[in-house]
Amino acid sequence: MTKILTKYFDAEPKLHELETYRKLGGYEALKRALGMERSAVLEEVKKSNLRGLGGAGFPTGLKWSTVPPEDKVPGPRYVVVNADESEPGCFKDRILLTRAPHQLIEGLLIASYVIGSKDSFIFIRGEYQNQHDILGKAIAEAEQAGLIGNNILGSGFNCRILLMRGAGAYISGLDTALLETMEGKKAWPRQPPPFPTVSGLMGRPTVVNNVETLSMLPFIVNEGGAAFAKIGVPRSGGTIVFSISGHVEKPGLYEFPMGVKLRDALAACGGVKGGRKLKGVIPGGTSMPPLMEKDLDLALDFDSVRAAGTFLGAGGMIVLDETADAVEVAHNIERFLTHESCGQCTPCREGSNWSERILERLLEGKGQPQDVVNLARVGENITGKVICALGDTIGMVLKGYIDRYPDDFKKRVTPHG
Amino acid sequence: MTPTKAPVQSPFSAEQEKTLLAWTKEYPYTNLGLIEALRSVQDWHRQVEPAAAARVAEIFGLPFNHVWGVVTFFPTFTQWRTGAQRVGVCHGLSCFLAGSNKAEKCLEKTLGVPKKRATADGKFSWEAMECLGACEQAPALQVNERLIGKATEESISQLKDMKR
Repeated sequence: MTKILTKYFDAEPKLHELETYRKLGGYEALKRALGMERSAVLEEVKKSNLRGLGGAGFPTGLKWSTVPPEDKVPGPRYVVVNADESEPGCFKDRILLTRAPHQLIEGLLIASYVIGSKDSFIFIRGEYQNQHDILGKAIAEAEQAGLIGNNILGSGFNCRILLMRGAGAYISGLDTALLETMEGKKAWPRQPPPFPTVSGLMGRPTVVNNVETLSMLPFIVNEGGAAFAKIGVPRSGGTIVFSISGHVEKPGLYEFPMGVKLRDALAACGGVKGGRKLKGVIPGGTSMPPLMEKDLDLALDFDSVRAAGTFLGAGGMIVLDETADAVEVAHNIERFLTHESCGQCTPCREGSNWSERILERLLEGKGQPQDVVNLARVGENITGKVICALGDTIGMVLKGYIDRYPDDFKKRVTPHG
Repeated sequence: MTPTKAPVQSPFSAEQEKTLLAWTKEYPYTNLGLIEALRSVQDWHRQVEPAAAARVAEIFGLPFNHVWGVVTFFPTFTQWRTGAQRVGVCHGLSCFLAGSNKAEKCLEKTLGVPKKRATADGKFSWEAMECLGACEQAPALQVNERLIGKATEESISQLKDMKR
């Protein structure tokens, strides 16, 4: 099967070193891009149908083209890498950063050239200390080789790459909250518009892209947007890297063409652990309802998964077997969301807590029939009434588990409390 | 005559003051260095106390309440003194499915302290943490933000021999 980002992961243990990466054709795409008009590179990215792999699935070329041109809005503009991977179930960025830091740096430099960013940032979660070190080393290597800094490869293009760490908040992974964190504030999401491409870091036009998204760029520049588009499905090009964990035989990182069948993805990781019965598959991280056995032939791409009532997210797939209890799972997710709610919007701040308490009651065997009704109602009163996706998630997850596993909830209810 | 403010005794060494000042200059805008500066403080003091936050606020030219708001918002910064080895066990969904509850009990037993309290010698403290991004190594364990991987009774018992 076609692989782009993880192609050399098995054969090249030293892929993280500049020498190995260049031997395999690394930084050729940067050289090529720097010899092209910026608009021509953007055109290839648009043609590739690359979509944001951090979870939102927004077309990358379209995002870039909303950055106002320098003659309309003079002054600095920035590219920020979102390496604040914190969604439970996702670990692809951690492994991509460990194994192929130069792939990201090359992609970031290509993006910076197109956007016109002279100071580009990699914002990485503090818990990825090892990856922070690896990136620091890779940046130093690339600087030494004249790939970062002034007059890159003799092109006249200047760009620095600056590393910055987060401080443990999940919400910092949301683009506008990430920018607030970078600015030394509480990570309270902003209410767009304006979107970051118009007013981002310190009010400057800013493109925020995920690690995996930017890592795709060297391939797109080398092989052309059309070749990338051809690998995926009509409205979403290329491959996707899934982090697969939970009740599977071989948890780990798996790269597939966009639109791979759920059945094939499960087969690749050895299937459900111990040959047990499948209960559900969370496709993109815990913030979304699970897919069910009936969805095994579903194509895993942004639009198909959405049509099936959930989201592809950031490809953090968690497999649940028959031993998993839907109330315990929902409680675990809601506890997480309560802890990570930033507190800015009242429905989310209060509702997350409330739903966690109801779920706790169900777990303690003190649930009443009205509790399940209330749980869904609390969720409905959050989703769509808050600034960011974290709040929306609360209702979606509650409804998702109550609808799909009514028996698990019924089992927890005693008629008189 | 205008009363002059008594100079605040800095809770930092001269070297540490230099580091904090360097963070104000690391990025294109001063405030971009605030989180990294506070991370340094957490690292040195194993917590961020109000007096330390006040000095950081002075250095960055920010109001104290802004800095204190940031300190109390982010889980990395604590208002209690962590152990020199700050152990975190993940209780995200994949780790929960793999038995993170058991790992928590094992940590409590091995270190002999409840969560968020340092051992008497100050060497260790432990916490349950939100997803560490290591779901394929569930239940995941980290020490001072470095991933150890699978939390087993064995790996937890080996923690005590770790040196900072």
